Amino acid sequence: MRALCWEGVGKLVVRDVPEPRIRAEGDIIVRVRASSVCGSDLHLINGYLPAMREGDILGHEFMGEVVETGPGVRRHRVGDRVVVGSVVACGGCWYCRTEQYSLCDNSNPQPVFTEKLWGHSPAGILGYSHAAGGYAGSHAEYIRVPFGDLGAFAVPDGVPDDSVVFASDAMPTGWMAADFCGLTGGEVVAVWGAGGVGQMAARSAQVLGAERVIMIDRFPDRLATATERIGVETINYAETDVLEALRELTAGRGPDACIEAVGMESHDVGPTYAYDRVKQAARLQTDRPTSVRQAIMACRKGGTVSIVGVYAGLVDKFPLGAAMNKALVLRMGQMHAQRYIPMLLDRLATGEIDPGYLATHPLSLEQGAQGYELFEKKEDGCLRSVLHP
Amino acid sequence: MTNNGTRWALLGVTAATAVGVGRAAARRRRRHQPERQDGWYVVRRGVTVDRSRDDVIGFWTDRERLDRALAGWATLEQLDERRWRCVARDRAGGETQWRAEITVEEAGTLRWRVEDGPMPQLGRIELAEAPQGRGTEIRAELRYRSGPVRRLAGLVGGDEPDLALRDALRRVKALIECGQVVDTRNDPSGRSPGQEKATDKVRETLMTGGRA
Repeated sequence: MRALCWEGVGKLVVRDVPEPRIRAEGDIIVRVRASSVCGSDLHLINGYLPAMREGDILGHEFMGEVVETGPGVRRHRVGDRVVVGSVVACGGCWYCRTEQYSLCDNSNPQPVFTEKLWGHSPAGILGYSHAAGGYAGSHAEYIRVPFGDLGAFAVPDGVPDDSVVFASDAMPTGWMAADFCGLTGGEVVAVWGAGGVGQMAARSAQVLGAERVIMIDRFPDRLATATERIGVETINYAETDVLEALRELTAGRGPDACIEAVGMESHDVGPTYAYDRVKQAARLQTDRPTSVRQAIMACRKGGTVSIVGVYAGLVDKFPLGAAMNKALVLRMGQMHAQRYIPMLLDRLATGEIDPGYLATHPLSLEQGAQGYELFEKKEDGCLRSVLHP
Repeated sequence: MTNNGTRWALLGVTAATAVGVGRAAARRRRRHQPERQDGWYVVRRGVTVDRSRDDVIGFWTDRERLDRALAGWATLEQLDERRWRCVARDRAGGETQWRAEITVEEAGTLRWRVEDGPMPQLGRIELAEAPQGRGTEIRAELRYRSGPVRRLAGLVGGDEPDLALRDALRRVKALIECGQVVDTRNDPSGRSPGQEKATDKVRETLMTGGRA
């Protein structure tokens, strides 16, 4: 089969690779119909997570059709149209029992790297480097999905592939970001990053009761799309001082909750950003926490900072004093796909949340490298490239 | 004079730094060394399994289930009431075998003694109820005879009783909780056979040891 493989920092190539096979009773094989690029892939492609090996197949946000099932699979049959959560969960450990699927104890078969780095190993993730288990990814014609009964979900009729593909990752990540905020109705929520996850977080915050959502980014087309599609207010940080603008927009209080949907390669303007870039390039810090710093500084006293942008290691100048003295609640994590996807599919089917507009660039698998380039450089109004193997 | 003064100052700073670094390294090394008692290395490891104590005991005593769970990893043969022969297969296809005497002291406590194997070993396992309804804590204590050089070589080569104990506890937990030990070694990739072999080495390193 054909698959998009990582061949070194910044280098992606389509190769002929063997087809996946059923390895355990609960496995299913899915023929991939749509597989989206994701901002967190960029950290892998650009070598910021040092656990990629040449030949690894990328991709973790996808949907497709079941073509084979293991003998232990009960919920799916060949021919089912399914969306698959990117996080692999076993369903049998304490974390799975308590619906904290991204913390599964048993789904990362190579846990030593993350145990050394983070103290404990969270769940495995499909197509997400050897730190996350070394699973082959979804930018391929076929993919093996372990624990298929738990990780794959039947897609409601009538929902297009390029819409439901985002129920795999961007939607549950955005929903969890808003869920972390503990919204009860009437809050002001600020969201850093107007990419796919940020826009899903903004829409989720509205659904959960936020009265106003303010999005922060520097790309006018992304901010315009967010205003048009979900009706948010916007701040362009390249033109405006974010902290001042947020204070003004909230009459001095600051947002009740701040969602960070940017991650370790976050961008800013000014000397602090230059300093962060130099430190990261010299590997004196692994991540650039620009937007996390802003979120902590902007958040109202006693508010919540919710982090779903991906971070890998160590950051510099983390404003712990502000977080402590303002009594902030900090919540963060990889999303619990299996907890949120069924509920989100219902909302997708009714049109309450419609992520289809994120798929600005439907492409073939052969155009995968180009898709990532468009996505990384935000060219041609690209919000997401979606590959169709 | 100034030059001499600078040299002595530099020498002093270098010596002080070397002593400081040496002491810190020695302290760190001591912290990471297993306890030693009467020539035995003693390590204690534990893992929490999200199942009741009876379920955990059931895993050990249901011979058919145990054999199915160990398939591809090890075979167990009961020689008499207490003595067992175990043949373990490593990931490279090699085999190690030993005979062990296993004594069940009471429900939830057992001891084992390796009679003939690559390294003399004594072990004890206790099952305890985990707090907050989180299942069962499997607490293991392993004593083995080795020397500093042999132990270091074992740690580097991934062939050391402490690493094996941590692997075994992790496997047991996975087998009880979800019926399988997940493996991604045969997932497709764009690697050449040589690159795949090198990647398998990396996988082994990332699979071996760590926390239990």
